[in-house]
Amino acid sequence: MENILEIKNLNKKYDNFSLKNVSFNLPKGMIMGFIGENGAGKTTTIKAILNIINSYTGEIKIFNKSNIKYDSEIKEDIGVVLDNTFFPEILSPTDINNSLKNIYKNWDEKLYYSYLEKFNLDKTKQIKTFSKGMRKKLEIITALSHKPKLLVLDEATSGLDPVARNEVIDLFREFIENNDSSILLSTHITSDLEKLADYITFINNGEILLSKTTDELLNNYGLIKCTEKEFNSLDKNDYIKYMKNKYEYDVLVENKKEIKKKYKIEVIDKINLEDLMLLMIKGVK
Amino acid sequence: MLGFIKKDINMVKSNFKLIGVLLIVYAFLAFTNKMDISFILPFISVMIMISSFSYDSFNNWDAYMVTLPNGRKNGVLAKYLTTFLLIFIISLITLTISLIISYTKNTEINYLQIFTSLLGTIIGTLLVVSFMYPLIYKLGIEKARISIFLIIFGLAFLGSLLINHINISHITNALTKLGNLLVPITIIITLLLLYISYIISLKIIRKKEY
Repeated sequence: MENILEIKNLNKKYDNFSLKNVSFNLPKGMIMGFIGENGAGKTTTIKAILNIINSYTGEIKIFNKSNIKYDSEIKEDIGVVLDNTFFPEILSPTDINNSLKNIYKNWDEKLYYSYLEKFNLDKTKQIKTFSKGMRKKLEIITALSHKPKLLVLDEATSGLDPVARNEVIDLFREFIENNDSSILLSTHITSDLEKLADYITFINNGEILLSKTTDELLNNYGLIKCTEKEFNSLDKNDYIKYMKNKYEYDVLVENKKEIKKKYKIEVIDKINLEDLMLLMIKGVK
Repeated sequence: MLGFIKKDINMVKSNFKLIGVLLIVYAFLAFTNKMDISFILPFISVMIMISSFSYDSFNNWDAYMVTLPNGRKNGVLAKYLTTFLLIFIISLITLTISLIISYTKNTEINYLQIFTSLLGTIIGTLLVVSFMYPLIYKLGIEKARISIFLIIFGLAFLGSLLINHINISHITNALTKLGNLLVPITIIITLLLLYISYIISLKIIRKKEY
């Protein structure tokens, strides 16, 4: 499968944090959920992808081209939503259109205004009159209106209420279907990703812990809730991490079916991304 | 490029009313021979542009700008060009007002005086721009404001020291010798400084992390 984004051995050092050999691929036409707790390295990785930080090592290819050498050309086909709001609040959506239609070659004015109408955003009002959610919607709309081949969204759904989040998720699906594009969506609201993402990449403390298809993750990984005695009977190599709770043990396992067979366990719960994150970060081996 | 200029103009357009009022005040004062405030007007355009830096900084615009195609280069260049454009338009209006007033008052129009005073103001304003913008990109708008005041006071202090210790007539004689070349040379030096300033600003933005 053709990759839209390829990251190989990305390293970046700060005084108190570093990205360590971050590598993963995003295939064409797919949505990847990029998860991890705050400060895990999601935003730094995204900034390296967008080539807006310096002195990192490793290789990043977007549309099979170096993100540094072909910076400007690549950016014509990337839509970006950053974690912080970024449009000057004195501008109106119309002002944004007037600027961006002269910046992006493929800017689709008609599409932009149709999105504004769909999301009930007044095109003439200054952005400062918009709520946080409305601003986020405007940013997402803007990122879609030049029909990018890759959407890079850093916590784009975080400021939205559940109804708006669903609307936006539908918009992403529609966008992927119509344009054969890809999305890299960093978020800590993992429930959104279970509905939307084809792939999940999990980063913790600057390192990629896993990068797999969502189906593979949700079908193969499982959660065993057991007593201390049952836990002690498990081979250390058969589980990934565990957490000792007040009354029971939560044990994260891969190859759910094999484990079930081997230990004759009747129920291994399906894991959700939130529990997976929690166990991977807080669990012990 | 045009997109970035449009964005900057859209941000400062709310200040256009203020410029209009100042132009009327200028016309009134000039007409009644009370005071010539033409030198203030090009400076106003720089003050207005500085407010655009404040909006950018307050709303994290630069972090988004660098994700746009040619964002670093065009974003920085647009600030310089928009400033240049504003100074040019305001100066043109000021000049027109000066000429109309002289014409209506039926006084002899001293073209040379009007042009040199306006040109001096434009050059002075552009020099401030060429010092100030790299500082804004390097230090951020708040710290740059303080720095530019310190620089202006420092230069004024140095200037006064020099005037006290150097025979100023040597300089004026040298400048007089340049004759007709003085104006074009000054314009070329100013434009060169402005270009160097743009290159420095661009370098700062290229090195900056967001």
